Amino acid sequence: MGTNESHLFRYPEAIKEEFLAGADIVLRDGTRVAPAEIWAYLTEEGPAKYPHIYDQSNYFGRRISGDVGLSYALKANYLLMTMNDRISRAKARGVPVVFVQGGQSVDPYYAAGAIGLRPASTGIWARRKETGLSRNEEDLRGQKRRQKAYNEISIEVCNSAGYEHIQDGLAVDMIAPFSCLRCSDVSYGLEAHRHGQRQDVKLLLIDYPLDHQRDKEWAITYFADNLRRLTRSIDELTGRTTTADDLSAEIKLHNEGRRLAVEIADLWWSAPVPPTNGKDRRDIFQMGGMEVHADPTASLSVLREARDLIAKRVETGVHGLGVATDASRIFICGSCVSPNEYRVEQAGGIIVGNDNHWSDITTIVEETGDPYYNLAKAILSYPYEQPIKERARWTAEQIKKSRADGVLFLYKWGCNTQSAAARMIVDEIKAQTGLPTLIIEDDMQRSQTEQMHNRISAFIEML
Amino acid sequence: MALNALELIYKRLRERPQELVEARANGAKVVGFQAYNLPEEVIYALGLIPVRLGSGGDGDLVEVGGRYISTKNCVYVRSTVGLFAENTDPYIVNSDIVAFDATCLQTFRTAEVVQYYFNREVIILGVPRNFYLQEAHTYFAAELRHFVSRLEAISGVTLTRERLADSIALYNGIRDAIVRIYPYQATKNPAISWEQVFDVIQAGYVLDRREYLGLLESLLAELVQQRGAPVIGGEDDEARIFISGSTIPPGDKKLISIMQELGGRIVGDDLWSGLIPYVDVQIEDATLEALASAYLNRTPHGALPYLELATDRRIKRLKELITTFKANGVIYHTLRYCDPYTFKAKETKDILEKEGIPLLELHTEYAGSDFEAIRTRVEAFVEMVKLRAESEEAA
Repeated sequence: MGTNESHLFRYPEAIKEEFLAGADIVLRDGTRVAPAEIWAYLTEEGPAKYPHIYDQSNYFGRRISGDVGLSYALKANYLLMTMNDRISRAKARGVPVVFVQGGQSVDPYYAAGAIGLRPASTGIWARRKETGLSRNEEDLRGQKRRQKAYNEISIEVCNSAGYEHIQDGLAVDMIAPFSCLRCSDVSYGLEAHRHGQRQDVKLLLIDYPLDHQRDKEWAITYFADNLRRLTRSIDELTGRTTTADDLSAEIKLHNEGRRLAVEIADLWWSAPVPPTNGKDRRDIFQMGGMEVHADPTASLSVLREARDLIAKRVETGVHGLGVATDASRIFICGSCVSPNEYRVEQAGGIIVGNDNHWSDITTIVEETGDPYYNLAKAILSYPYEQPIKERARWTAEQIKKSRADGVLFLYKWGCNTQSAAARMIVDEIKAQTGLPTLIIEDDMQRSQTEQMHNRISAFIEML
Repeated sequence: MALNALELIYKRLRERPQELVEARANGAKVVGFQAYNLPEEVIYALGLIPVRLGSGGDGDLVEVGGRYISTKNCVYVRSTVGLFAENTDPYIVNSDIVAFDATCLQTFRTAEVVQYYFNREVIILGVPRNFYLQEAHTYFAAELRHFVSRLEAISGVTLTRERLADSIALYNGIRDAIVRIYPYQATKNPAISWEQVFDVIQAGYVLDRREYLGLLESLLAELVQQRGAPVIGGEDDEARIFISGSTIPPGDKKLISIMQELGGRIVGDDLWSGLIPYVDVQIEDATLEALASAYLNRTPHGALPYLELATDRRIKRLKELITTFKANGVIYHTLRYCDPYTFKAKETKDILEKEGIPLLELHTEYAGSDFEAIRTRVEAFVEMVKLRAESEEAA
């Protein structure tokens, strides 16, 4: 099926002048990208290369929101669309790409001079290598590729974690995820590569100790040793030596991103009516993880702009596009599942927060002392990875801050560890907040998407 | 000829629940555990009674457990949670403390559920995933020290070198006896079947360990007396099946009974509920550090990832055991949602294919709904293995 141009989004000329007056994006290599260049890309080159991104189908949850007054969102789109171009340039300069998984921060990967990519970003990079596809074509290719992973590993893999892309030749140099309680597939998915066609990719597991790990000195020391091993392994690819100062500098940079995201969240949550829609909210909050654009420096410049813009919207009472003034506020727990935020809004709700990929952002790393130890201690302190009651206590705090009216716990089919924790977490949250909760299962093959949205709609109606 | 020691083991198993009730009434404390890398030696050394918890094969327990954990957890885990929910199993009822290790993340979650919903006193032993690194051994030794300190507080006993040395010697004796008994089931016209040896191994989960060692020694003496040294082998056209993959706990008889019915003879396994935990434990000293290292140096459990195929000791040991027990086919048993073993099924099949060993993966659970499907597949596999054996013999 070809692209139906009438369904494609176009950035309106009316916003051009104001957008061009904005700030540049500063990339990690020092390059500056001026708004004029971004505008040209988003309105000319982008639609030709990646028409599927401009698709406006109601069923496309990642579609461009249309809230075009959010200049930072245009810049974030630009960064996502140019992922392949930028990574290819970096690789040509000898920068290795390292696959990351486990929900932890990417500070050590960048400190060692690599690009750290999580599964979603790895998928975006792979998909940006193909141009001219409609959403349907792009979607079908993705599904077909993912079958390779299911065939090679197991049908019970909840998340193929980019296996298919890497084994098909995507130029990832090293696969170095964190093991964690969050996901049991990480370790086995990593191990599966040893049997794959490609044998030129380095494999390393950063071993995350479990059970009150943040309170055990020996666990922190062990994890710090794992982080040192990680940077040494990346050094073998780059030929340089990562110093403690390199890691300290990276931690400072990432801390600024984390702090900005938390500041933005507090601003966003403080507004009587949300200043953006749910999709734009999720994009900014998650930017604090400093990973989504494969360039933390670029993410930081977008975050700074976002903070100012959100503050202005909250101050002046501007509402997010399409957000009802009386929308039911939903907080989402669990992993790897994001409903189509637009459809949630059509049903009268709005997603106001997630615990996944948020607990790492809210954890600031100590900046003085041994950076490996500090980073290890911070990562082992992520609320999401703590014993049930502690995780639930933190989640309840976030729910209260977000002023949510209801809580959904979502997990993917085949996700052993989040599904196992689901009932305990919601029971504890219910006890601490008194809010209604609902557990819903989804799957990576999207065969249950409509069921999920039916249930969410019913939940919102009940609220 | 009957084996008296075997009969005695079955008898003592029936008597054990009441014995535990009486022991507890006399002040003894029982540590129920479910783990793969927990050195039982430390529990015994502190005067506590170790009892391995868990059973399989009961679909109702799986359903009950699913209410608290999830339907995306393996049936063994769900069944374990079901046991705690029902609270009628004598070993669950009589456990004063419950210990788990973090080898399998689903076991870790089981520990959380048991603590949260059933208010049990739970102790967890952290297990490193990078088990082959020196720093992992240091971490695991520290975890073990922490674990022991909690048991010491419960038992009121301090773990001395002497106590630990005695316990290690006892457990070394048990491991040695099991390794020596095991080959008898793989001989021609065996005096003991694999299924019976499997029962004997699992009897050791609950029986008093010192008495258990005595029973094993008696059984071994009878086998030696009846058969002399074991000579592994069988009929020329025999389907000699090796079982690998997910755990088959006490009570899970589905696959075993299908195999018996269809004339496939199980002659070996590398299951964690079977032979493998007893095979290569080399404890160099009566210290927690040595104990920790010895456990990590064993053939690794499937939940601990190893990133280099060529040097993977699990694969190496699997091939060795298949050769030792002269198996000519492998049934790779995986429980639904048992990721540690399910994710390795295709890889294991590919590896063994290169060695000319056929592998059938059976992906199952405790419900009876797939009984006939499994029967059909096993029947075809056994027939194929027999035909191959016959044609190889003819050639």
